[in-house]
Amino acid sequence: MIKEKISSQEIIDLVASKASVSKRAAEEFLKVMIASIEEGLLAGETVKIKSFGTFKLQWNEPRKSVNIQTKEEILINGYYKVAFVPDATLKEQVNEPFAHLEPVELDTDPSKNDLIENTDPVSDPLRIFNEQAFEIKNLISEIQALSKKPSTEIHEVEPIRDIYKEEIKQIPENEVEEDETDSGSGIKDEKKDLENVIEETETQPEISEEEVTEILKSIPEDKIDVVESEVESIKESKRDAELTLKEEEQPKIHDIVSTAEPISTPADQPKEESSVIKEPTPENNASLLTSELPSTPYLDNIKPPVRNKKLKLVLLILLLVIGSGTGLFIYFASTGDNSVENITRNISVSEMINTISGWITPAPKPAQKPVKVVIPKDTADYESTEQIQPVDSLQLLFDNPRVYTEFIASERIHAGNRLTIMSKRYFKNKEFWVYIYEANKDKITNPDNIAVGTFIRIPKIDPRLIDTSNPRCLIKAKELHDIYIK
Amino acid sequence: MNNKELIASISVKLNAPKSVVAMLLETTVATCAQLLVEDKTIGFQSFGNFEVRKKDERLSVHPSTQIRTLIPPKLVVNFKQSNILKDKLKDMPHHD
Repeated sequence: MIKEKISSQEIIDLVASKASVSKRAAEEFLKVMIASIEEGLLAGETVKIKSFGTFKLQWNEPRKSVNIQTKEEILINGYYKVAFVPDATLKEQVNEPFAHLEPVELDTDPSKNDLIENTDPVSDPLRIFNEQAFEIKNLISEIQALSKKPSTEIHEVEPIRDIYKEEIKQIPENEVEEDETDSGSGIKDEKKDLENVIEETETQPEISEEEVTEILKSIPEDKIDVVESEVESIKESKRDAELTLKEEEQPKIHDIVSTAEPISTPADQPKEESSVIKEPTPENNASLLTSELPSTPYLDNIKPPVRNKKLKLVLLILLLVIGSGTGLFIYFASTGDNSVENITRNISVSEMINTISGWITPAPKPAQKPVKVVIPKDTADYESTEQIQPVDSLQLLFDNPRVYTEFIASERIHAGNRLTIMSKRYFKNKEFWVYIYEANKDKITNPDNIAVGTFIRIPKIDPRLIDTSNPRCLIKAKELHDIYIK
Repeated sequence: MNNKELIASISVKLNAPKSVVAMLLETTVATCAQLLVEDKTIGFQSFGNFEVRKKDERLSVHPSTQIRTLIPPKLVVNFKQSNILKDKLKDMPHHD
């Protein structure tokens, strides 16, 4: 689009007609005006013309450049340039078509981050719950895996025995080679004896299963005690889990013994296994007994063998709910770090019970509880703040429907004219365009695109409603804006 | 040189009263502004051109807060000096 260029002659004509002076006078005036500006600039001054702008000189530093054709370096001398800074009024006049636009912040991330930070303390205990639940599940799955392991270990042990057998076979052969000169029959006897020994060792594993009960009592008493105490502790903590766990433990005891007995070297392995089991569970159970029981008649309920399992389940779930609830309460109430640690252990115990019970019945979700605890407080706060806020006259003014009977001006829409621009002219702020729109709703179908030539009446508005210094007025206008522009 | 000094300078040269000069200057400015609003280029012989240029919308990122802001398009007045004026200014010595 080529812009229409106005020459100085046309300007002279326009000025002459507007100021009702002769063209010659206008021409002379313009010439002198420009000469004066130049003069001022050449004197190194800035020239300011009211409501138009400022002319000033700008020094451009000398710089090197390259001739594109000859590729020669040329030095461009430093020079002065006339810079023109338009006055604020001229800027506004020129920018009127875009005056209604405002910079928009695209990222509302900071507010989102705030929200995340706010929810963090709430979700923290939940996260701890999840982590602990995961850990406990891992431990339990380990225990389950251990109960399966020994069955494979027997297979592992047998090849080892074979190796021993081979070694034993090899050794005598070497001896045979060495001692061949001395006596052949004696060596053969030795060999036979050794083979018998090997046969005995081979038969031993078969017997060992029968001997297990004896060995159970005799050799690894410590280990059995550990396992048994563990089984008992689990028994105490969970009667339903006990059945499955005991079943898992018992074959393990057999296997540990059977693997430990025939060959002395892999005896370390079962020890490690038992110690692995030993570490987590008794600790938790001990803390369970110390922390949970004093407050509830837990032991009394469980110690006598109650056969009604359903009743027990209901009782247990109830205890879980109370236990986790109290744990949470203490957790939220506590401030000290040490106490927090203790309570997290508390929670871990209750959570463990939750997960165990979760295998049998769909346990009450612990995730819902903290939400229940925290949210009522918040809502209560909101309610109280809402109640405190008084309903003032301005609020009434906002809420009442506005009736426009008096008008201060009227205007015909021309191209590029907008309600916001009118609002800025009449009410000093473009946000109040909504009131002009309200007064002319019958003529305007789309406030964003008003037909050229539409006759708009500017209403008289309560000055309290269009107080530019009052942020509430602006907020109200923006609210209306959001309603009308969607 | 501010507005008053300019008027004084012109009035001395024209040998005309300041009030008349002030009125004429005002009219000229108003005329120019009107023409610029109508998106027309004004060319003063031997001085330079005034024209309205559109600055497109752009994204600005705050260097420290990383907040991205959409800056709306706007119209600005641009002045380009004529070659005659440039030549006149060439003779001026640079002193800083």
